[in-house]
Amino acid sequence: MAVAGVTSRTPCDGIGHEGIRGMGITRRQGLLGALSFAAPAVLPVMADARQNGTTLRHITGNTVNTLDPTMLGATHESFGVSMNVYDRLVTFGRKQSGSIWTFDPDIITGELAERYEISDDGCTITLHLRPDATWHDGTPVTIDDVKWSLDRGVSARSLTAPQFSSGSLTSTEQFRVAGPRTIEILLPRPDRLALANLAMPYAIMINSRLARRHATPDDPWAQQWMQQNTAAGGAYRVERFTPGVNIILTRNDAWGARSAGTSPFFERVISQTVPEATTRASLVERGDADIVIDLEAYDVIAMMARRRVRINSVFQSNCFTHLAFDTQSPPFDNVKVRQAIASALPYQDMFTASLFGRGHPLFDAGWRETPSDISFPQALPLATDLTLARQLLADAGFPDGFATTFSYATSQATTAEPMAALIQEALKRIGIRVDIRKLPDAEFNTLEAEKRLPFYTDTAAGWIQRTYYFFYLYFTRNQRWNFSSWNSPRMVDLTGAARFETDRARYEDACRKMIALLADQVPLIMLWQPNMDAVTSPDIDGFTYQFHRQIDFRSLRRV
Amino acid sequence: MPSLTARWMSPAARFFSHSPTTGIAAGATLMLAFLALTAPWISPYDPLASDVPHALQAPGPHHWFGTDELGRDVLSRVLAAGRLDLAIAVSAVGLSLAAGVTVGCFCGYLGGRLDRLVGRVVDVLTAFPLFVLAMALVAALGNSVENLIYATAIINFPFYIRVARAEVAARRHLGWVEAAHLSGNSTPRIVISFLLPNILPTVAIQASLNLGWAILNAAGLSFLGLGITVPTPEWGVMVANGAHFMSSGRWWLVLFPGSVLMLTILCFNLLGDGLRDLLDPRTRT
Amino acid sequence: MSMMQTFRRRIGARALASLPALLGVIVFTFVLMRVLPGDPAVYFASGPNAGQAEIDGLRHKMGLDRPMPIQLAHYVAGIMTGDLGNSLTTGQPVMHDIQARLPASLELTLTALGLSLLLSLPLGIVSAWYANSRWDQCIRTLCTICFCIPPFVSAIFLIYVFYYIFGLVPDPTGRINIFTPLPHDITGFLLVDFLLTGDPAGWREAAGQLLLPAVTMALFVLSPLTRMTRASLLTVMNSDFIRTARAMGLPTWRIVTVYALRNALSPILTTIGIVFSTMLGANVLVEKVFSWPGVASYALDALVASDYAPVQGFILLMAILFIMVNLLVDILQGLVDPRVSME
Repeated sequence: MAVAGVTSRTPCDGIGHEGIRGMGITRRQGLLGALSFAAPAVLPVMADARQNGTTLRHITGNTVNTLDPTMLGATHESFGVSMNVYDRLVTFGRKQSGSIWTFDPDIITGELAERYEISDDGCTITLHLRPDATWHDGTPVTIDDVKWSLDRGVSARSLTAPQFSSGSLTSTEQFRVAGPRTIEILLPRPDRLALANLAMPYAIMINSRLARRHATPDDPWAQQWMQQNTAAGGAYRVERFTPGVNIILTRNDAWGARSAGTSPFFERVISQTVPEATTRASLVERGDADIVIDLEAYDVIAMMARRRVRINSVFQSNCFTHLAFDTQSPPFDNVKVRQAIASALPYQDMFTASLFGRGHPLFDAGWRETPSDISFPQALPLATDLTLARQLLADAGFPDGFATTFSYATSQATTAEPMAALIQEALKRIGIRVDIRKLPDAEFNTLEAEKRLPFYTDTAAGWIQRTYYFFYLYFTRNQRWNFSSWNSPRMVDLTGAARFETDRARYEDACRKMIALLADQVPLIMLWQPNMDAVTSPDIDGFTYQFHRQIDFRSLRRV
Repeated sequence: MPSLTARWMSPAARFFSHSPTTGIAAGATLMLAFLALTAPWISPYDPLASDVPHALQAPGPHHWFGTDELGRDVLSRVLAAGRLDLAIAVSAVGLSLAAGVTVGCFCGYLGGRLDRLVGRVVDVLTAFPLFVLAMALVAALGNSVENLIYATAIINFPFYIRVARAEVAARRHLGWVEAAHLSGNSTPRIVISFLLPNILPTVAIQASLNLGWAILNAAGLSFLGLGITVPTPEWGVMVANGAHFMSSGRWWLVLFPGSVLMLTILCFNLLGDGLRDLLDPRTRT
Repeated sequence: MSMMQTFRRRIGARALASLPALLGVIVFTFVLMRVLPGDPAVYFASGPNAGQAEIDGLRHKMGLDRPMPIQLAHYVAGIMTGDLGNSLTTGQPVMHDIQARLPASLELTLTALGLSLLLSLPLGIVSAWYANSRWDQCIRTLCTICFCIPPFVSAIFLIYVFYYIFGLVPDPTGRINIFTPLPHDITGFLLVDFLLTGDPAGWREAAGQLLLPAVTMALFVLSPLTRMTRASLLTVMNSDFIRTARAMGLPTWRIVTVYALRNALSPILTTIGIVFSTMLGANVLVEKVFSWPGVASYALDALVASDYAPVQGFILLMAILFIMVNLLVDILQGLVDPRVSME
């Protein structure tokens, strides 16, 4: 989410999911090509700092608050670090479109596992461990470590258990050691998300002998110790960790040396917190920092004009900014009221004013009744039509409108403030009086979780990019991520059927119906998918947009 | 002939002719207050009306101060903001000044147990890091103009007590105070008629600084995302938002509201200085 | 000797007398934090799919399910043993975080105060001596203009000009370049530590990092210090003994430094105390913009997250600092101006 520089919204995105095609590329590819050749106009002052160029300096507005990504309250940046420090059993592939790399949600390959097989009935996943994998302390990775790590995922009170349950991974009995280097994962039904769940940041593989030495009777899974320490075997080790200030990683050469491994280019990665967005922009433009992914859109636009840096722009295909209604209380329990608002909003103006057009709109779709494909999030047929809006509002029994509040979190102010002002102005035209409330993040999150906000905006991202999964996560059940508290029996039926559906045509049919139902009932107005603008020094190559929306340092190199 | 007029001029007029800076500051303050009051009638545009196709336009014949990220007219917003800012500053400072000076004078004069008790309360209040206290107060009470005023008033309150108390305490044993006491004046009378005029210069300096401070405080809070919510125009908010656009070359977003903000504070301060010269009996010739 | 003893007794009495104030601060902060509308348990447990069970678990772990007076009692008992609780945002004990970050804040504030005093005392004296002259007007206007620029604006502007355009200062990312090895932690003040370890290069670098944030803060407080110096000097200079001194033909510098300044010190000291307090608070903005790893930005992050313990710890720490500063100011005032008694 395009987050304001000053504060960080700690809680993380949604659960993983799997892939839909169309990880998009922006219109600016051509320009990017040109940019990558643009010479740095201003030379770095600290030339000595990165003498041989094998140190990468990353700056971010937020902080790493734990080294254990499964901890409740772990920040996005903590996930990013754990992806580089820990291994998971499997990982998503990556693909290139134009000059931009993105993760490939359709390809899952081994990471700590060398290979895997899925049985014909889809109920058993067999994973084979790499023969020469070691932990950071040099001891070999054993199958017991893997079993312990998976058991920890379903047993400890952490973010992993709820995530794993979306892939039908719920009990330690499902993980069976089947040989010295083989583990079997037994599923009650052929869950289409089980394997993808093993690629999530929560599915870290832990050096169990090391971790268990720090376990206590109160804390059998060493969760306390692992917040400040690592028991990992990934591409980087943590050299120094100062919470809220910086984290320094050094390359683990054993990782690249193992069979079929490639060593990361950077020997050292420094990830530093710089809260002020404008300062971050200056740092990378002056060449004092190598990469930053959380800049404000207006700074990015100015940088594009100055051409001193390389800008990798890609819209975040698994992410969406939306307006949510409380569909359980009046007046928004009335579908006509929601439709009226959906017809009254100045979508294009909002998109321009909030993001300067840097993203992918989810409104003004060409289709009317049924979508042409099942990709999701995809644009819905929402358009501005004030006459229709007034008519709908009158039909709903509010010819003179009503009063309501519109809320957003402080950290999202940069994008939400222009949006809020435009919404207030537009809804006034159809008689709805909107009181704008900017809430501190903690308060916003509390009210959002307790379903006490009538009308608000937020941004969400799902990690597993499957259409069914987005609907299951964001539009069913009474839970935190059902932003609109929407309770549609039809949607519950559709998602329930799609989850274990193995017939492709029937699955796609169900997904089309879900999308059409959402477009018709508008429990939530999908607005757009913001861009990720990864701004790097001109000599940094290999940036890959990842589902977790953080930087994979392993793929970066200096050319 | 001029000397004859001078004799008949009011003390204030004589003072202004003596100190032109104060005269100019007073004039400018009046002008600002006038513009703020008449803002709804003299603004060229509706300060809230967006016009996204014309967003972020540099100053020109149609928009003298340019337009912001929603295409709103910056000049109209600066004018509308003046109303709000002057209201915030005056009410916050008025509140804390009235309460603080009253409490401070009596404590300083009476001394004793009351003084010690109030001293402790003031200690508690001043012991807070003020800006953080204001942040916490606004966060706890909610983002609104009234809460901003209360928070600003509360953090300034102890200063007035301290200043008034210290000034009164330093004077209460002076001969003329004791004389007033011995000649049968009541405590309130001594405080109000004898001591208050003597401490006013110091308080006036404090108040003149505080008027500007109150506006700056609002600006700082809004920079951190607390305080006034959109789309209400307010100088501090405009400067805070505009500061981010500085590096991308949209200087007008910070320059115009910033200059007016600065001019206002400058006027308040110069007026405060003038007021001090006017009120301090020893500088009167 | 006996004077020293009286002095010590007075300081002890004052310190003892400030205990109720401290307790007041603790209780007030505690209640204020609980009034904040955010629920830390919800905030920190709101990961993907985290449900009511996770929230309740966290609430229990944090002790938030107990009645408030008991929570307060636990908190006060903790303070007695130096335990300020744990921060949820950094996952560290608050005491540890504060110890690590306080020197950064103090170094910045003291440097800024020093810079500001170096400028404002001479300016104030000139301004008062040539009261109402063109010099006076210029100085007053200049100071006021400095005061009128919000610190975050001047910070962004200074970075833009001196770092981004001209590259005269190192990148504004904290106390020291990330690539420079830190000196042994002796006092925590980098300038002092580099000096003690005899590392002039490191010292220069730390000073370079410190320059811009310190100047930002110094500019902001230039005005109140200069004004108060001018105002109190003016009051003194109009008094009879200065007139006498002038009439007797004493040299100007002697009148200013020996007679006037000494007598005008009391209100100046009060102002310095107030300014110091203000600066510690205003640190929030400057620390944010300069990525300064101080206590104020730490408290700000925690406040936004409704993370009680660090905010409470920070305010308590500031309260202790303020009380110490006030005590110092009072003592000094008692020394320079016998009219203000220690009572």
